Amino acid sequence: MPEKPNKQRAVLLGGLVIGGLWGIPFVNMINCCCCAGILLGGILASYLYREEFVEGMPPFESSDALITGLLAGIAGAVVATLIGNLIHLIFGPIGAELTRDIIEKVLQRLEEQGSIPSGIYDDLLDQLEREINKPLTLYEVLKDFLFGVIILPIFGMLGGLLGFAIFGKKKTTQPA
Amino acid sequence: MEFTNRVYNILLALVTIWCVAILAAPLLTTGGEVSRPIGSLLYEGFSKICHQIEARSFHIAGQKLGVCVRCSSIYFGFLATLIFILFVTSPERLRTPSIQWLFLALAPMIIDVLSYNAGIQSSPVMARLITGVLAGAILPLYIVPPLLEAVVHIRMSLHKAGGLYA
Repeated sequence: MPEKPNKQRAVLLGGLVIGGLWGIPFVNMINCCCCAGILLGGILASYLYREEFVEGMPPFESSDALITGLLAGIAGAVVATLIGNLIHLIFGPIGAELTRDIIEKVLQRLEEQGSIPSGIYDDLLDQLEREINKPLTLYEVLKDFLFGVIILPIFGMLGGLLGFAIFGKKKTTQPA
Repeated sequence: MEFTNRVYNILLALVTIWCVAILAAPLLTTGGEVSRPIGSLLYEGFSKICHQIEARSFHIAGQKLGVCVRCSSIYFGFLATLIFILFVTSPERLRTPSIQWLFLALAPMIIDVLSYNAGIQSSPVMARLITGVLAGAILPLYIVPPLLEAVVHIRMSLHKAGGLYA
């Protein structure tokens, strides 16, 4: 009986998307909404793996979606660490600077609307400034990787399961 | 069936721990010398998945929660549905509803986010809270049934392979 397709392609592509959406500055702002980018990567990995099933193979099950999403999350953590630190080494703390610009605009808008007291604005900018000037050390890289390797597989797995819920089982006719 | 319930209870426990951690971050930070580093670590962990803007967060003991209003609403909505399922049905009887309900429940939050970023409206706290809870509350209906099915399937596969002795 033919076996299920290899997960490698779906996991790698899903991992690349997750890693990119987690590691590339500015793009990674999408994750500010409950890891939406990671969920999308998990959904994509699940979809890509589902598409590899052809007639004669066992059906695409929820366990396949779970494992694909989980593995894509792990691959994503590695990719994100590589991409994030490479960008930091080449361009400096561009990510933190972009984040500061965006948060600065949001805070300005909130201050104009009277949603925050004016004193808080300066405190927050000071905090962001400290974040930008933080040096890139091995400890920081390992800590970020550790956070990534915990968070990304969890949300990647949830994305994989959501993908399964959205696209459904893929029934394949198996030979008698 | 007993195994499915056990998996469900583990999931419920993990989501509860996650939500407690959101509430614990400010409490630990305002606590003593021993608890403060744990609180800071929780804040740092949550900062990877949320902007944590002070003015966009609920506060406890004068400190913001681990995540913003929208994220808190999603996670607590998720937890509320997991608890609700226990009272109205058993987890193994849960079936995934039609997919349009998912998009319908997520639509208000997506509209709120997009219209806020386009400068059309100011996205008040109530809007973030309601749309977040709605989105979080619907998600378990689409995640839990395939998750339980998947774990049971993986367990059976391991049994067949002789890797598990229950």
